[in-house]
Parts: sequence; structure tokens; C-alpha cells
Amino acid sequence: MSEASKERLFEALDLFRAKINENARLQQMNRDWNRDIAVVAKDLPEVQASIEMREGQMDWRPQAAENPHIVLTAPADVLIGIFRGDSTPTEPYLDGSLTLRGSQEDVLRLDFVSLMIWGE
Amino acid sequence: MKRVYGVSLGSSQRDHTAQVMMLGEDIELTRKGTDGDLLAAEAAIREIDGTVDAIGLGGIDVYLYARGERYVVRDGLRLKQAAEKTPAVDGSGIKDTLERDAVRYLAAHTNLLTPSTRVLMVSAVDRFGMAEAFVELGCPVVFGDLIFSAGMPYPITTLDELADIARRILPEMGKLPFTMLYPTGKEQEGQHDSGRFQEYYAAADLIAGDWHYIRKYLPERIDGKWILTNTTTSKDIEELRRRGATHVVTTTPVMGGRSFGTNLIEAMIVALAGKQPEELGHAGYRAWLDKLGLVPRIEDLGGTPA
Repeated sequence: MSEASKERLFEALDLFRAKINENARLQQMNRDWNRDIAVVAKDLPEVQASIEMREGQMDWRPQAAENPHIVLTAPADVLIGIFRGDSTPTEPYLDGSLTLRGSQEDVLRLDFVSLMIWGE
Repeated sequence: MKRVYGVSLGSSQRDHTAQVMMLGEDIELTRKGTDGDLLAAEAAIREIDGTVDAIGLGGIDVYLYARGERYVVRDGLRLKQAAEKTPAVDGSGIKDTLERDAVRYLAAHTNLLTPSTRVLMVSAVDRFGMAEAFVELGCPVVFGDLIFSAGMPYPITTLDELADIARRILPEMGKLPFTMLYPTGKEQEGQHDSGRFQEYYAAADLIAGDWHYIRKYLPERIDGKWILTNTTTSKDIEELRRRGATHVVTTTPVMGGRSFGTNLIEAMIVALAGKQPEELGHAGYRAWLDKLGLVPRIEDLGGTPA
């Protein structure tokens, strides 16, 4: 079960990366936003993942972030839904299932990135 | 006497009361700031509900607009709905008309605004009428919605792109706590980083839009530039004079030494009309604005034009 969830989470991160990196406008918007983001799946404590934003490009690694600017914590299914665009971060953030630790501007920016990719 | 009460998420340092006469009616206008405390604002509205003629909701929008689409700001709607007996308005009923008219008036009656005036509009989704009026006039405009609300260095230069971005983000962003999206309470008293984003200020002749966004990253020197905004205090005016601005134009009238927000002006119209905002509608507001004959207030600060 947890191996399947881990695979789904990693696939979702791959998709999120592809969507960001193919979006020229988003790259322009985020050209100054160099951030390390820790992704913590509460129900998969053995799984580590981190996102790196550099000059508008995103990459991710299956390892913990050192001194992350933002820490995203949620059950794996919530994270998968956000990275796949099945749900926005707003509702899980408001109902408490997703917690975001970081500066308010960074948190808002991350929400914005997700909406620019998937929002319609 | 009509009584109009404004409840604002803004700073309580801007609280005031003024007695004005409009179209032969005495009106008492009171503004109470709650320093960004949404619960306190909601409590204040419930307390005053049913005891005044109209309530203005300040420092917050209930709706944002882009190209005919209306987006709800959840916290704003919550405040509006806290008033069950007295009509509560956020200014959006008149803002579109009043600010569109203000731009047209300045173009027709002053030499401040011409088609070559370079405009930095700090945010447009809260005043789409003004944005459209600048574009209609032919001004090159930078819409700073992403710069000033999210800190993203991305100038929007067309209404089409503004509407596209709004369609993608506003349905969800409007659900977030308003304090995440807009400076409230004590944030309105200070300034962020006056060195940040100064290239956008430098490239403009006119800085237009919400005052708190204008001030957010306002450079130390803005020599030769002028400001078109909504509400200012005498302290704000002095600050702009010190930084070298040539003129400050406010879209709402000055009463008792300060300009009042559009929410209070709309509330005043609702009080005078004795009708619900929905009954007034666009045509009704238009007729009242024509009767009131509001024109922008232009203050010459003595700065040297660029």
C-alpha cells in the first residue's frame, strides 16, 4: 500500500515538474523565486521528497530538503491530488488537511503556481 | 439626519466621524477600523445592524471583477452577510462608474493625463472600470496585480492577459483569508521594502490604484510623478509631497480634511435613496452619482513635472 502511494506521489511530482517547466509564462513569473520546498506525506514517514525552484525551473528529488523555505505537510492522497491538479491547495489548506510552513508571500506564491498550471 | 457607518479591516488610526450635507440632507459618516481583525469587524457590523441607514465595508472587497466576470471574496461576503437588516456595501456598486468617469474627466479637463501617459496601475481587479478607461484612452499601462499582491515580478500589460490570469486564480484565491491577499490593520501603517520593484515605479508617469498597494513598495523619491488613488489622509499627502510627487488626485470627495472610501460614498447613496443596493442597480447608482456631481479632487503638491 505505502509502496503504491509512494509511486503515485513520485509520478505526481514528475507531472507537476513537467507542467511547470513547459509553461513559459510561469517561468517568467518565477524567475526570481529560488526556493527549496520539503514535501512531507504524513502517512508515509519513510518517504522523503523535496522540490527545488531555480530561476523559474522546477526539479524534485526523493530526499529531504536541507533548510527548506517552505514545508508542505499533508496525507499522501492530498499531496498527490494537488500535484496532479485533481484538487487545488486552497480547500485542503482551509480545512487543515494541508499545512504550509513558510513566509506568507512564499505560501501565496506556491498556491499561485498551482492555480496557474491547473486553474480554469 | 441619515446615519452611515463604515466598518473597515484597516487601521483604527484612520477612524473619523464627519457631518456632511448632501443634496439637502444631513449625513453623519462614521468610520471604525478593526486593525485587520475579521471577527471584530463582523461583531461591529452585527452590533450596528438595524441602527443606521447603511453600512460601508472598508478595507475589503466583496467582489472582484475582470472582463464582466465577478469573483467572490469569501471573507468580504461573510461581512456583508453579517448585516441582516441594514444594507451593507463595499463600494463596488459605484466604483466602476466613478473611477471610469474620473479618468475621462482628467483626460478632458486637465493636462495631467494624455494618451502618452505611462501608467502603473498597482492592481486592476479591484477597479476594472479605471483599468478599462486607461486602455480606452490609449495609455500604456502596467497592471501590477501580481507584483503587489503576490510579490511576483510580472507586469501584466493587456486586459486580456489580466482577465485570463484572473479566471485562473481568483475563484480559488478569493477563498483564502483576506489578510493573506491585502494589507490590513497595522500592515497599512508601515511600508514593505521601498527598494523593491522600483523599476515599475520609475517607468511610470502616473501611479494609480489602491493607496495601500501604492505605498507598499513606494520608492523614497518619486519626483515628477503623480498619484491617482482612493483614500488618503493629510499624513499620506505630506508623505507624497516629501517624496517629490507633483499631484495627488482622489476619486472621492474630501470631507473634514480627508477623502472617504467608495464604500462610504456608496453607503451614503443607499442611505439617501432609502433603497436596497439591488433595487438601485447600475442605472440607479449612475443617476445618484450624476445628482451628486462628484468630480476628482486634484491637489497640487508643488513637485516639478518630469
